[in-house]
Amino acid sequence: MIRQTLMVANRLGLHAGAAAKLVRLASRYSSEVVLGREGANQRVDAKSILGVLMLAAGMGTRLVVSVEGEDEAEAAEAIRRLFEDRFGEVP
Amino acid sequence: MNDSTTTGDPGSTLTVGELLSDPALELDLELLQGHEAISNRIRSPRLQNLGMALVGSSEEVHPDRVQVISGAEAGYLESLGAEDRVRAIERLEKYDICCIVVTQGVEIPGELLTLASGRWIPVIRSGAPGDVSIETIARYLERRLAPRITIHGGLLEIFGLGVVILGPSGIGKSECALDLVLKGHRLIADDYIEITRRGEQGLIGEGGKALPHHMELRGLGIIDIREMFGVSATGAAQAIDFIVRLERWRSDGAYDRLGLERAGVEWLGVIVPVIDLPVAPGRNIATLVEVAARIVLLQRGHKTNLVQV
Repeated sequence: MIRQTLMVANRLGLHAGAAAKLVRLASRYSSEVVLGREGANQRVDAKSILGVLMLAAGMGTRLVVSVEGEDEAEAAEAIRRLFEDRFGEVP
Repeated sequence: MNDSTTTGDPGSTLTVGELLSDPALELDLELLQGHEAISNRIRSPRLQNLGMALVGSSEEVHPDRVQVISGAEAGYLESLGAEDRVRAIERLEKYDICCIVVTQGVEIPGELLTLASGRWIPVIRSGAPGDVSIETIARYLERRLAPRITIHGGLLEIFGLGVVILGPSGIGKSECALDLVLKGHRLIADDYIEITRRGEQGLIGEGGKALPHHMELRGLGIIDIREMFGVSATGAAQAIDFIVRLERWRSDGAYDRLGLERAGVEWLGVIVPVIDLPVAPGRNIATLVEVAARIVLLQRGHKTNLVQV
């Protein structure tokens, strides 16, 4: 399992559009992708749009992303890039 | 999927500011003193009458509990001479009291407010009489401070039983939940369940505050079950009775053929029985889940676990 802590860096946070991008990306991989707020006992499925929206992660929120499965390395890398790219949002 | 594992027992806390600003408390609270200290943390769902601290019985004082001044404490302070009153109030100084609630109609001595401001203790006026204030705050704190986890899955009320549906993403949990709603059962939450442990009641599950009773169906998007199917198709919170775990059909055929094997999952220290259901073409999962609920009811002799939350 690959576990990394990523920060939501885009201004609007994980709103519907950003969440949809994340869910679509995570769903491309067979690995299981689980998100949680750092320090909180909360786990949501990154392949579920409702789960991701329920995190209500605003700008600056740190999320722990755990990826487990056959293609975990590629999935973890792609998700990290999406966060770094601010979900494709123009800053 | 390891969505059925938990990571221990989180010690929940609540700040005084959160207590003051939460409309769910349904109590008219007003901060009289101590704006600087509204980040003080309440760590216990129980309340304490401030009397103990006033008479200097330090062993009994729990500073992380909300301290209450009602008629009895105010009467005691009133009965003291000015000097003794100051001394009684100064005894509070050695405790790190998180906050003091003064109930309706109770006069508080000026000395107490002065001390509270120096010691950064928030003093809160409640708009309800003593017994109502104490009961309301205690019930609210019990809910807020209960050990809590979130789970990825669906929660339905089927024949009065709380049934959690787990399984890997894309296996059809939401579709199964929708079928069950169409059969007349109630949706409590889909995709995101907040579970708390509440004393004797066991585990209580509810949905997120943000999008209650919403469901994502691939190809259709996000739908509001309550709006589409009405109030009788949804429920607010539900005691959890058992789990149905959906899994892809394995070709080795190692399934329970007699219905005698029962597994369990531990959530917040409570073991919840699990029924594993393999998913395959021709198997109507919603019907199978409904039958699973009937089996559990039969085994229990029809006693359900309905609670008021």
